[in-house]
Amino acid sequence: MTLSPQQVRKQVMDYLEATDCSIIETSPLHVTVKLSPRADQMLTDRPYYWGFVERTGVEPETLSFTFVFNPEQYDSQAEAALVPRSSGLGNPGLMRADTGNGIASKPVEIEAATEPGGIISAGSVGSPAPPGNPQDSILSRYFGVVPALPRIGPGMIRREDVIYGSKRLRQIWEAAREEGKCLYLFEDPGSRQRTTLFSAAYEPWLGVYYKVEMSCDLKREELHFMGISLVTGVITYEFGSKLSPLKLTPRLPENVHVQPLEMSVTAGAEQLEASLTARLAELDYSWAEEARERLRLELAIIDVYYEELLKEPDEEKRKEIEEQYARRRQETSWQYEPQIAVSAVTYGLFHLRKT
Amino acid sequence: MTQLFRNSLPAGASQPAPVLPVPLSFNRNWLQDLESKLDKGGPWGDWRLSQLAVQGEEAGLVSSFDELQCMKHLSGLSPLPHQIDTAHKVLFQMSGRAILADEVGLGKTIEAGLILKEYLVRGLVSKVLILVPASLVLQWVRELNAKFGISAIAQKKAYSWGNDIVVASLDTAKRDPHKEVLMNNEYDMLIIDEAHKLKNKKSTNYQFVQQLRKKYCLLLTATPVQNDLGELFNLITLLKPGQLGNQGDFATNFVVDKRQPKNEEQLRGELSKLMIRNRRGEGPVNFTKRKVRNIPLTLSEEEKRLYDGVTAFVKEQYQEAGGNLSSMLSLVTLQREVCSSRDAVFITLVNLIKKLPEDSPKRDRMMELLQTIRTVKANTKAEKTLSLIREMNEKVIVFTEYRATQEYLLQYFREGGLQCVTYSGGMNRGKKDWMMDLFRGRAQVMIATEAGGEGINLQFCHHMINFDLPWNPMRVEQRIGRVHRLGQQNDVIIYNLSTQGTIEEHILHLLHEKINMFEMVIGGLDVILEKFEKKESLEKSLYKIMLESQDEEQLRSGLNHIGESLSQLNTRIKKESETII
Repeated sequence: MTLSPQQVRKQVMDYLEATDCSIIETSPLHVTVKLSPRADQMLTDRPYYWGFVERTGVEPETLSFTFVFNPEQYDSQAEAALVPRSSGLGNPGLMRADTGNGIASKPVEIEAATEPGGIISAGSVGSPAPPGNPQDSILSRYFGVVPALPRIGPGMIRREDVIYGSKRLRQIWEAAREEGKCLYLFEDPGSRQRTTLFSAAYEPWLGVYYKVEMSCDLKREELHFMGISLVTGVITYEFGSKLSPLKLTPRLPENVHVQPLEMSVTAGAEQLEASLTARLAELDYSWAEEARERLRLELAIIDVYYEELLKEPDEEKRKEIEEQYARRRQETSWQYEPQIAVSAVTYGLFHLRKT
Repeated sequence: MTQLFRNSLPAGASQPAPVLPVPLSFNRNWLQDLESKLDKGGPWGDWRLSQLAVQGEEAGLVSSFDELQCMKHLSGLSPLPHQIDTAHKVLFQMSGRAILADEVGLGKTIEAGLILKEYLVRGLVSKVLILVPASLVLQWVRELNAKFGISAIAQKKAYSWGNDIVVASLDTAKRDPHKEVLMNNEYDMLIIDEAHKLKNKKSTNYQFVQQLRKKYCLLLTATPVQNDLGELFNLITLLKPGQLGNQGDFATNFVVDKRQPKNEEQLRGELSKLMIRNRRGEGPVNFTKRKVRNIPLTLSEEEKRLYDGVTAFVKEQYQEAGGNLSSMLSLVTLQREVCSSRDAVFITLVNLIKKLPEDSPKRDRMMELLQTIRTVKANTKAEKTLSLIREMNEKVIVFTEYRATQEYLLQYFREGGLQCVTYSGGMNRGKKDWMMDLFRGRAQVMIATEAGGEGINLQFCHHMINFDLPWNPMRVEQRIGRVHRLGQQNDVIIYNLSTQGTIEEHILHLLHEKINMFEMVIGGLDVILEKFEKKESLEKSLYKIMLESQDEEQLRSGLNHIGESLSQLNTRIKKESETII
């Protein structure tokens, strides 16, 4: 699965909004944002700076970025917008018609004004010849000052291309997981519940989003979002679809009561694991058989090879060969031995209205 | 946490756990985290972020055992079909242990990057060690970061080894105290560039790599067999001992003589399980042609006088020094510079004079030469170059060996109304990149003194002018390699300027006619030179001939001799590599 620029944009915007970053401007192709302290700490890799802020108590200065989701279109719009400007025909109305996008014309101006010498950005690849002002002579550029370092620091807006596969996107996902993995939520009953006479019964569920990694010398993964009612012990494999129509809130809503647990969280986890194991048992394991076959073959070759060498009469040398032999066998098992590892991506307690 | 349960669930609810045919392990760290937060009452995660993390997992999910995932994680890089095929084969047929033996210029680094990326994406690899020649460390780091988004770092200090993905020089890594650290580590993947340095199994290189603990392993080399088949056997033993039997089996089954294999069919079959060798001219990788135009020029009278003056002076000095070559290098330079520009000669002469004692008799001789320089008003080569450039009216790169010539040409071309940029080895990385961008953008001409090193890729330009020629063929090849590489759409036209009746004419003859180097397949040259230079470097041999020959005739026969042995080596190597792999 890969993500389109729109999908990436949606996810990045979700993150920025969830972490209270202040969006300076945005278009379908980009967003310029001043990070919140919380996001800055997660994304900019400045532990010393944040250590300094913490110790001295100064007002933190967070960094700003322009994240570009569709670099190609963004650049070509920038270029298109430059032509009428430099030839003195700069007509905002016309430009909007050209680009077909009213919001985009503004960032383009900013881009051209702040970064005439080309943008050095860590994440961006390609499009190395940004449009410059064709009027300045080659000489002035030749003798000009080269910005040798990426522009960074308060006041500077650094451009970065954020696309599927870019480091920044991976980092955002990791940051999201770090701050969002462990949950304690309630179903939002809506405003009517407040005025209802009877308090609603809420059932606590343990929900775990499992990642199953099946690996040998190759690898395949599966995701399972499972939930177990800690009251009834009912297990669902489709916990995600159970949650998706609901609105969830971190606060205990008014006029509801949570049913007491019939089962500890640990017991629930054990049930989930047992149930997942049963599910996994139904899978096709020919991949593991094939991997073991490969392993057998490799080991046989190694055995034959070293059998000859181990006839070495010299004690010292033979010891060395034995070590090598053991190492090689171990490496091979490490490479091919099939195994399954299960870990949790997110997890938590969900209190849902009893049905 | 302690809780009271009013009644426990019936025990029958949990069925006996089924046994899986594969060891299964549950990571339960999450449960501890959840319980400790329940005890403390938080802090709890944000539901939106949680969903985002899940979407991230879904987007990166490896849903199939046998399908390359890395491509969708790469942007701005479009690997060639043979590179993707190679990655595919290494993963799914070779289980991640392979020799990548493409011919030079087909992108072994890209292939290794793809394979590494794939394993990283699949989460099968996290700890990686990449061992390369010291001069390539930074290039590897840069490429992995820029092209593949892999956070590799260059090993600088002892603590660098702690990083997940480290690029280091093999020579550093195999020495203490580094060796000790590496031996105690386990590497999910080991990549070795220029792996022919491991051909000798008694060498420290070889033993060091053999002892490293590694899961997947890639050996990169353009010349898996340099001298004899035993080298290939050693490489394979490093990767998968026993794959070709033991040394004795291998010798009886596959080797007739050091260089000549037998049962070729079978050997090739066995090798294909371990080694991938893509060749030029095969499949979709087609290099455009190289077209050579030699442009003979006649020196003006003044220039000729200067040339003769310098030549005579250099020879005299050589005889005075009693044929000692090492003390003569600056004079040899002088001799070569006089074929380039008077500016270059001038600077070297002045520097030489400064070093002489006040009363040296040589001083007068050199002052005389300086006077001769004064008489030279025009540069025949530069004039010709300017008119060539105007004629072709396309982007062109002009190579010269000397900074002084570069400065002069810059001045001269600008006066002639051309837009030029310069490029030289002394520039820092940022400036180099900038110059390249300018050249790509609006400048018509790039005047470069440096062709070696990394990162100048000028596929968008297909004219190059050798304003003067290096005497080391590898440097000529590096020059051509800047424009004639993957991605070049047009035939590359190489202009060689040579002034008649000078040493330059002979050198050009040697390079062009004898080794046919301007048109030859890239990559053959280094092998030929390595063999030729077992005794003495080609450059040095040329100097000797130049300095010692009494007349034209002697010079010609000396050069002819070198030419012959080079072309013999060329045919022999070609034949060998065809039979073996």
